[in-house]
Amino acid sequence: MTNNRLAGVIRLHSKDKLSWLLIPWIVVMASFVVNLVISQFLEEDLYTGGVASLYAYMLAIGVISLTNTYPFAIGMGVRRHDYFWGTAAAAAFASLYSAVVLTVLSYVEYDLTDGWGSGLHFFHVPYLSDGSPLVQVAVYFLLIVNLFFMGFMTTCVFKRFGILGLLGFAVVMLILGTVASFIMTKMEWWADLFDWFNAHKMLEIALLSVPVTLVFMLVSYALLRRSKA
Amino acid sequence: MSTIVKIDRLTKSYKDIDAVKDVSFTLEENKIYGMLGRNGAGKTTIMHLLTAQSFPTSGEIEVFGENPYENDRVLRRICFVKESQKYPNTFKVRDVLDVAGALFPNWDRSFALSLVEDFRLPLKRKVVKLSRGMLSAVGIIVGLASRAPLTIFDEPYLGLDAVARSLFYDRLLEDYAEHPRTIVLSTHLIDEVSRMLEHVILIDRGRLLLDEESEHLQGRAYTVVGSSDKIEAFGAGKRVLSREAMGGLTTITILSDSALEDRKQAQSLGLELAQVTLQQLIVHLTGNKNDRKEANVQ
Repeated sequence: MTNNRLAGVIRLHSKDKLSWLLIPWIVVMASFVVNLVISQFLEEDLYTGGVASLYAYMLAIGVISLTNTYPFAIGMGVRRHDYFWGTAAAAAFASLYSAVVLTVLSYVEYDLTDGWGSGLHFFHVPYLSDGSPLVQVAVYFLLIVNLFFMGFMTTCVFKRFGILGLLGFAVVMLILGTVASFIMTKMEWWADLFDWFNAHKMLEIALLSVPVTLVFMLVSYALLRRSKA
Repeated sequence: MSTIVKIDRLTKSYKDIDAVKDVSFTLEENKIYGMLGRNGAGKTTIMHLLTAQSFPTSGEIEVFGENPYENDRVLRRICFVKESQKYPNTFKVRDVLDVAGALFPNWDRSFALSLVEDFRLPLKRKVVKLSRGMLSAVGIIVGLASRAPLTIFDEPYLGLDAVARSLFYDRLLEDYAEHPRTIVLSTHLIDEVSRMLEHVILIDRGRLLLDEESEHLQGRAYTVVGSSDKIEAFGAGKRVLSREAMGGLTTITILSDSALEDRKQAQSLGLELAQVTLQQLIVHLTGNKNDRKEANVQ
């Protein structure tokens, strides 16, 4: 009897295919259709960041899924350990799914239809979508997983330390961000940063998100281990 | 009988109050326990600690011989059904049963479905849209069909009508007879369940007040009615839980360690002893009338 309870947690998440697999694409497709219509009226090509709604949604589901499922799972006697890894597996699957769909649509857009016949650049974003299909899947996947765990960690902070803890965390992050950007400006590092981005491929940047994601996961897990149902 | 739960000097403190203070007890295999006490007495807190859903401030908890915290060998053998259980808001009744089936090793699907029929639960309805009584029924079904060696029901039937409640008792006893396990029932409706309870654990203001076989306990408690002077004479030196005087008559309720001798004494005084129901006894013990600093009743 090894771990059928981790499988049970995955089963738990699989009951909500709507939130994991469908709604993100309803959101993206709604944005896509609007942009497609607009592009019909434009002479020049339309570049849009509408696909960002997918990433925003995956961040949101990272925030929501814990509140939605954690009390139930723990109430059913699931270990926090199994809840965490079961949820991570569900998130990884959903991220891979969306990454593959993104890649396919990006391929259709860029290579097959030349912008859906109306010069729309929606799924194939310059720089972000550079590289072979395999590279694209990897890039999208890593970014989505990163955002998911950023959201997940935020809720873990809330779960462990309550609303005041979350506010404190937000304030600290805000201060750190402000100080960092002040230093960047003061030392005139912004241009260097953009140069650095330009000098690196998107894949390299995405790979750099891996340690960040791991930190998010580690912090989430540590907080969850001490969180009540 | 083997001990499956051992709690030793368990304390759970919040900023300024002790929700649970120095509570110790054990639970034996294959018995039905009543965890009784008033609202806010600390029952739910104890059950949360027992199932590692929250963390003790101090004290030891052993379930099936091990610490339950993050311990799947222990947790998979416990089913804790609580009144305040939250369900994912997209879940239908069917989803809850499906996931419970995936999580509990002894889950009996056909039993669960027969209970769904008994309680007339709509399988396809979302849990968030269920009435309070139906929500309670979902918990009861999970608790019964999981057949967990340690099954805990915390106020399982909020909003359930009398028919559904007696259905719960019947199914519980039937299934318990076929599949013995340890059951802990926490409830306010003491009269309804008192027949079933083999053992009573009474919690008051976070402390353990009683831990006793219910048969033994009920043998020890009685009321006696008579003229005030006779009653005063009889009650002297005994543990009087309540006293009511009306005209020249006085009624007292007594918790005694020597009920047999008391009976003889009463007979010699021409007094008659009457049984006290478990519910009355609990009310007397946990009512605020008399200040009992001394929790040791045994």
